[in-house]
Amino acid sequence: MEALESLLHGFGVLLTFHNMLLMLVGICLGILVGVLPGLGGPNGVAILLPLTFTMDPTSAIVLLSCIYWGALFGGAITSILFNIPGEAWSVATTFDGYPMAQKGQAAEALTAAFTASFFGSIAAVMLITFLAPWIATFALRFGPPEFFAVYLLTFCTFVGLGKESRHKIVISLALGFLLAAVGMDTVSGELRMTFGSVELLRGFDFLVAVIGLFGISEILLAMEEHLAFKGQEAKIRLSVVWRTWLTLPRYWLTLLRSSAIGCWLGVTPGGAIAASFMGYNLAKRFSRDGANFGKGKIEGVLAPETAAHAAGTAALLPMLALGIPGSGTAAVLLGGLMVWGLQPGPLLFVEQKDFVWGLIASMYLGNIAGLIIVLATVPLFASVLRVPFATIAPMIIVSCAIGAFAVQNAMFDIWLMLGFGVVGYLFKKTGIPLAPMTLALVLGDKAEDAFRQSMIGLDGGLGIFWSNKLVGTITTLALMMLFWPLIGKAIDMVRGSGRGVPAGSESSRA
Amino acid sequence: MLKSFVAKRTALMAACVTACLGATALSPAMAAWQPTKPVEIIVPAGAGGASDQMARMMQAAIQNNKLSPTPIVVTLKGGANGGEGLMDMLGSAGDPYKMVISNSAIYTLPLANKLPFDWRKLTPVSILAFDNFVLWVNAEAPYKTTQDFVEAVKKEPAGAFKLGGTGSKREDHILAATVERIAGVKFSYIPYKSGGEAATQLVGDHIKVNVNNPSENVAVWRAGQVRALCVFDTEPMNYPAKVTADQSWKDIPTCKSQGIDFQWIMLRGVFLPSGVTPDQVAFYQDLLGKLVETPEFKDYLEKQALKPSDLKGPEMVKFLEKDEALYRDLMTQAGFVATN
Amino acid sequence: MSDGPHADVDPALVSTRSVELAVMALLFCLSIFLGWDNWRIGAGWAPDGPQAGYFPFYLSVLLGGSSLWGIVAALRSEELREEIFVGRSAFGRVLRVFLPTIGFVFLVQLIGLYVASFIFVAAFMVFVGKLKLWKSLLTGFIFSALMFYVFDVQFNVLMPKGPLEAAFGF
Repeated sequence: MEALESLLHGFGVLLTFHNMLLMLVGICLGILVGVLPGLGGPNGVAILLPLTFTMDPTSAIVLLSCIYWGALFGGAITSILFNIPGEAWSVATTFDGYPMAQKGQAAEALTAAFTASFFGSIAAVMLITFLAPWIATFALRFGPPEFFAVYLLTFCTFVGLGKESRHKIVISLALGFLLAAVGMDTVSGELRMTFGSVELLRGFDFLVAVIGLFGISEILLAMEEHLAFKGQEAKIRLSVVWRTWLTLPRYWLTLLRSSAIGCWLGVTPGGAIAASFMGYNLAKRFSRDGANFGKGKIEGVLAPETAAHAAGTAALLPMLALGIPGSGTAAVLLGGLMVWGLQPGPLLFVEQKDFVWGLIASMYLGNIAGLIIVLATVPLFASVLRVPFATIAPMIIVSCAIGAFAVQNAMFDIWLMLGFGVVGYLFKKTGIPLAPMTLALVLGDKAEDAFRQSMIGLDGGLGIFWSNKLVGTITTLALMMLFWPLIGKAIDMVRGSGRGVPAGSESSRA
Repeated sequence: MLKSFVAKRTALMAACVTACLGATALSPAMAAWQPTKPVEIIVPAGAGGASDQMARMMQAAIQNNKLSPTPIVVTLKGGANGGEGLMDMLGSAGDPYKMVISNSAIYTLPLANKLPFDWRKLTPVSILAFDNFVLWVNAEAPYKTTQDFVEAVKKEPAGAFKLGGTGSKREDHILAATVERIAGVKFSYIPYKSGGEAATQLVGDHIKVNVNNPSENVAVWRAGQVRALCVFDTEPMNYPAKVTADQSWKDIPTCKSQGIDFQWIMLRGVFLPSGVTPDQVAFYQDLLGKLVETPEFKDYLEKQALKPSDLKGPEMVKFLEKDEALYRDLMTQAGFVATN
Repeated sequence: MSDGPHADVDPALVSTRSVELAVMALLFCLSIFLGWDNWRIGAGWAPDGPQAGYFPFYLSVLLGGSSLWGIVAALRSEELREEIFVGRSAFGRVLRVFLPTIGFVFLVQLIGLYVASFIFVAAFMVFVGKLKLWKSLLTGFIFSALMFYVFDVQFNVLMPKGPLEAAFGF
């Protein structure tokens, strides 16, 4: 039990007054960053990075990583209360979280989201604690074909799930892929679809699109309805927390599945955003009550939050052990490591025991502290709903603008955010789903790069996706997911049950 | 038309350089200009990459040693392989609160992508360091020397060896194409998003070889997962301290001594926008002069095995001209120059 | 989530069918435009795999096809013709948020983010929210000042700034 010993050592490093204080400060700042739509975890960490230059590395990473945990927790709050994702990875949380809030179950939804986040991250931390070397070796087995297979799997879990008309899903997906392809193409080094514009050189940033598509458009929709948000007041009483917790063991399978998905996608760079979507989709597909997803099912909150937080946490592992970041925030932290005089890579675990195990210990404590703090501060955030709409709406818009600008320090991005706001409004009202587009925007160019990198060389050809056990398994799994509606029907037919397969049924617009 | 434009630019540049030179000569007394608001370091690269790390290190060193009266802010503008950051600098004429840390993208982007950028439209301040390129293979590979490696590549059918690098039609790709030509071999070049990715892909045996900068591979080198065959410079790197169990940077032979006669180093230099005044340039040259003397910077150079440089003013311009010509030549031979 | 037909009595401004037709037509034009650009850079399959324009080109084709399908579907649907996309007064309310927002972004470009956000928040509260003038001005000021303090002073995140900030030396 060498790991346990090291972990205890880590707790020893961490348990100083100074470090504990930094942890609390970090979590509170992180929650704030997470709640403000537009400002994301990577921003928050990048903003505070210079403050840590004079600190010792362990204190510095404790502060910064706690901002990250706080942001992971905080992202769910506005998703559930306002239908505006505070973070890109909480987009999927809006699908069921907001309907729950509308039904007056905001407190339950928030409790579920926070607890699920906590569960996911603890699962990922345990993985890091006990299996770090093994995971690092596993991650090394991923070359371009394996990466492509993972992305393919993520997309295939999506197919056949939407209630919208098929052509609208295709439109959304294709548009997302096209937007993701704008800018420099990694494989050929050519510029695509930039039309000579300097502003388009950097392509469409995912964050800017999400702020517009979900944030701005929601304000427009809210305005159209009433001049008010439909979000419900959320009073968290201890009894609600307790009651919600009692129901959670029932969803152990969802929690475990999402944790596994999250850990996996965090280690092999798919990221928290993809993980949250995949967690949601698989929960919907395998739930006995899949048809009721999107109408305020607690599983629909648990699944994406668990996966997102697990992925966000697990993403730190490849950064520490291999020196490649598993997420945007991890990339910023990577820059920090070098400044503090550390060298990420295979030897970090051997040479910098204090740092690594201090960080891992802070993941445990930080998440426990985070859970308590978010549960305690929910009434505060919920009271925001009592502020008149005419006051809160412009502030949200300003915060969105700041967030959009801060991504790349570009004025053009604020205009782009407005444009995406209009697109989001029109799409939401014409029944074109936004989720496929978001997913394609996140993974589109990665998937294309991985595919084309696989094609280069003498062994290039589609056979490469079955060239070894690992990639063959994932690819086959992906194809099974793709044809799951048919497979499900076949199973049903064999069983002779009359129950249709809700996931695969193609219903026209309501 | 274009020629005369360039000529005019060069003349302008020369005028500026003379002015700058005058300013540097007088700098201690004349460094009258001081920033009054935060200074931005534009990083034309993604988070966590070599340029980002350099900017963060500069920020930390300047801040910790109180070299600048105002804070330093790092801004990432990595779109289009850094084209975004460079174009932003072009558009910031006369703004003395922005400096960019650039590498050879200042030549490759205009050549490969017809980006309307020219480093002559910026004000060169100084080159802080040069980055080396090393030929790396997986530690498990049977070949121990460059000659053995070249033999092994020749034995396989052309293109069987995958060489991974950062981006397409950039320094790694150009180097790969040049090595192919000199050694008479053929690789399959696989472009990745970052050098870190190319490093792990080499360890995972998804590619057979890469030409990463020392800093991109040092972590896996120290862990004994990759082997350094040779360095593309005229002399070995001057860091004799042991990095791995039994090797130092200095122990890596030059590729020239191993039969691949080619020198390839990459600048890491600082530019200001055009139209800044000589005393503003003097301030930054003075600042960077103090920066390279700090223990943080020296430590950073050694950790990343960078080659120190003190090129500034007219010598820097001379180097840039020569270097650009080399890039144009090699890129033309490799067929990377945009034609349409 | 899209909302169903509106229950309140609000004279229709435009039917869902017209909007859907317009959106689909726009998407179709976009697909042609993008498809053309990708064809230009090469949409074939080279020996070392697909060319740069291969995937985007076929995605454009897919987008174009689906939007054509959408046009046909919208034309044939009776149900959509009846459905109100947005009522007059509802759309008026949307514009009351959207137009000031556009104005705000213009102001950001002209006079910097902080002054613009002060004007935007205060004006929005007065004109849209019909709140008291002093309350609105105070809220706008506190909000902008707080943002300035947090981002520019405390954390050195540089937001677009204008003449006012310049006068104070920022």
